[in-house]
Amino acid sequence: MENLDINKIAKMIDHTELKSSSGQKKILNLCDEAKMFGFVSVCINPHYVKFAYEQLKDSDVLVCSVIGFPLGMNTSRLKALEAKQAVTDGAKEIDMVINVGAMRDKKYHFVKDDITQVVEASNPAHVKVILETCYLTDEEIVKACQLSVEAGAHFVKTSTGFGAFGAFEDHVRLMRETVGPDIGVKAAGGISNLKDALRMIKAGANRLGTSAGVAILEAISLLKFAPKAWMEPEIPCHICPVRSANISKLPKGVYAYYKKKCLTCEYRDKYNRFYE
Amino acid sequence: MNGWMGKIIKIDLSSGKQESVEISDELRRKYLGGRGLGVKLYSDMCSADIDPFSAENPLIFLTGPLTGLIPTAGRYQVISRSPQTGTICDASSGGVFGNQLKKTGLDGFIVIGKAEKPVYLLITDNGIEIKDASHLWGKNTQQTRDALIEVYSAKASVASIGPAGENQVIFSAIMNDKDRAAGRGGMGAIMGSKNLKAVVAIGSKEIPVADPEGLKKLLLKVDRLIDKNPVTGKSLQLLGTSVLVNIINAHGMYPTENFQRGVFNDAEGTSGEKIVEVLLQKRSACFKCPIACGRSTKTENKEGEGPEYETVWAFGAQLGINDLTKITEANYLCNELGLDTITTGSTIGCAMELYEKGAFPQELKWGNADVLESLVEDIAYKRGIGAELALGSKKLAEKYGRPELAMQVKGLEIPAYDPRGVQGQALAYATSNRGGCHMRAYVIAPEILGLPMNLDRYSPDGKAEIVALLQDISAAVDSMVLCRFLQFALSISTFTEMVNVVTGWDYTDDELLEVGKRIYTLEREFNSKAGFTRKDDMLPSRFLEEELEEGSSRNRVVQLDKMLDEYYAIRGWDKNGVPTDETIKELGL
Repeated sequence: MENLDINKIAKMIDHTELKSSSGQKKILNLCDEAKMFGFVSVCINPHYVKFAYEQLKDSDVLVCSVIGFPLGMNTSRLKALEAKQAVTDGAKEIDMVINVGAMRDKKYHFVKDDITQVVEASNPAHVKVILETCYLTDEEIVKACQLSVEAGAHFVKTSTGFGAFGAFEDHVRLMRETVGPDIGVKAAGGISNLKDALRMIKAGANRLGTSAGVAILEAISLLKFAPKAWMEPEIPCHICPVRSANISKLPKGVYAYYKKKCLTCEYRDKYNRFYE
Repeated sequence: MNGWMGKIIKIDLSSGKQESVEISDELRRKYLGGRGLGVKLYSDMCSADIDPFSAENPLIFLTGPLTGLIPTAGRYQVISRSPQTGTICDASSGGVFGNQLKKTGLDGFIVIGKAEKPVYLLITDNGIEIKDASHLWGKNTQQTRDALIEVYSAKASVASIGPAGENQVIFSAIMNDKDRAAGRGGMGAIMGSKNLKAVVAIGSKEIPVADPEGLKKLLLKVDRLIDKNPVTGKSLQLLGTSVLVNIINAHGMYPTENFQRGVFNDAEGTSGEKIVEVLLQKRSACFKCPIACGRSTKTENKEGEGPEYETVWAFGAQLGINDLTKITEANYLCNELGLDTITTGSTIGCAMELYEKGAFPQELKWGNADVLESLVEDIAYKRGIGAELALGSKKLAEKYGRPELAMQVKGLEIPAYDPRGVQGQALAYATSNRGGCHMRAYVIAPEILGLPMNLDRYSPDGKAEIVALLQDISAAVDSMVLCRFLQFALSISTFTEMVNVVTGWDYTDDELLEVGKRIYTLEREFNSKAGFTRKDDMLPSRFLEEELEEGSSRNRVVQLDKMLDEYYAIRGWDKNGVPTDETIKELGL
């Protein structure tokens, strides 16, 4: 752990700014930071793709555009058009959101076709498929991964960052186990510090979506000192999605699913902190 | 000699004589400046049993190699033996005084002796002059500043004491640039003991830098790091340090009524959010600081700076007081009189609990905001009950037979985080070389704020190593001399880069950390010679034996002994907390 390669970590990070309130200055800063710190890409909304491309065209930082974001409920045709436009504007990577409702309705053919249309429209750009894992059970996550691979996607990705909760290491692990070593796994949403990032990498992520990339890289030099102490286990409930599983944000079935997980959790007797 | 002006003057107020103090390159590399160099110079100049109020006791003002060159680096450090604790002590203050001092061509100055009558020091590009301050004696810090600014110029920066320092209240602060305080440990009282009312600095010299282009580039990176950090880039800017009120209260560790509880029901009404809503006039900043955490505020009657988090607590939850206006005005008064707000508030809280327990004769009730103003004034002038409170909580509680009710370590009052909710911070309090202090190692950052990484706040595992590491980094940063808030955003590698680009050295991160370790161990060695041992690395029994009854820190006590053994072993100190000969040799002390 003490020999973490800062450049290697930087090349795993999509430096992200997706808030609807972000103006052009934020995107300009984002691009400057990506060049300064050596991130693999900037991950932005389609509106800014052309602008970001202009800022980054003389660098090795890629432009990554989200598509069908953040709900994934646009028509497939619109998603494909949006992706095509983004690639024309300079995007080299496309992060699309699946149709979560269709996935939960088990309309697998539709979901796969939805992804396929975006993959085809995005060529030669790489496509990452956002599953929005907070709204899915483990079984649905596995199925969504399989559909993504079958549709020709290059990555599966956990979250938009706008859902009920973000990346969770058990989900990342499950996704890696499902897609195998040849497909990318991107963890995104709630990765706010180096320890979060390392947890995701350890679980199998080879790409991270975060707006805290600058702080994550900055912390690496500190980890060289007292590595074991820094990596002491965290309070399990603090890194568990059940903590965020509130009724207002989750569908009934998914809420019950996560609550059941909590009630049968191996840490429950030892910590029992969620219900403190 | 890039980063330094190359001159430190020792001035004897008894004789008026001045002499240059030579600082070798080796000494600079081993101790940097500020706190580190100050502790080294101090421990070389006098023995550990020196009376802090004796004329011979040196009072050292120092800047650092980064002063005047980096955002936030307008700071200075004052080093001496604390009259409050008897430990070696350094107090740090922001504003612009450090920058002005360095631009006069001095890296710092050392005051010894005692003037026959009140004096102030005028420091310009031409050197130091001793000036008559008889007309200033008795004035508060604001009046003193205004009078001296009028004589010199608005560009002048003034550091002065108020009536509290003149009366040698052992927790008197040195105030500079209106409302900035070198607050802890009673450095203001030492100024008072020397009849030194103020120091005026007006400088215009350039500070040499080894790699100006490299510095310019590095500052762009620093700007980004500050901006992208949630604390420095947002929270502190919007809500000031009092952003912590609601956060710490929600964690059940917001000390209430002298640490008897960890949840203050009226926290919201004294929070950073509320200050913005009802008091804030504008944000204020130290030297070139983009964070601007300072709060220029106004009540119906007065205006000034603050309250900061520690102060809003010390005059608020600590006393069961929810009147934000009264809290704020007590803060203004402390600034004017020159008092450390943490010790002032905590000592009043100690007296309130003593009264509650039937051990103190004067009626002092929780929540009574009406007594604040008069109590603060009485403390500064040592009048009536104020003369008792001016002892500080440790001596006060001892005097009234209940020493366990003073919430202090080594005589310095613990600030606004109940250690039962944060095991690492608890260890940091206990092992702090200047007493109960959150600034030797701010373990709240990882344990509560998740910066730079989350740590389990309830667990003692690994905390000894973390505390030692943060203490060492902090000692190095205090010696550069930078604002510690930068530590939220910047890690050790960036601090190393800063030192190298300014000085032209080739420090590694490991070497910089060793500087911090050397400083921390030297401080400990001084304290050991002054008689401090493991028994002094101790928390009040309340934190070791009494569990909090409500909030998310309930049902816990500090597991100090286990952490302390590990900590000493990591430090290379013996079981009694004294640095071993081997450690002293290894660090080149």
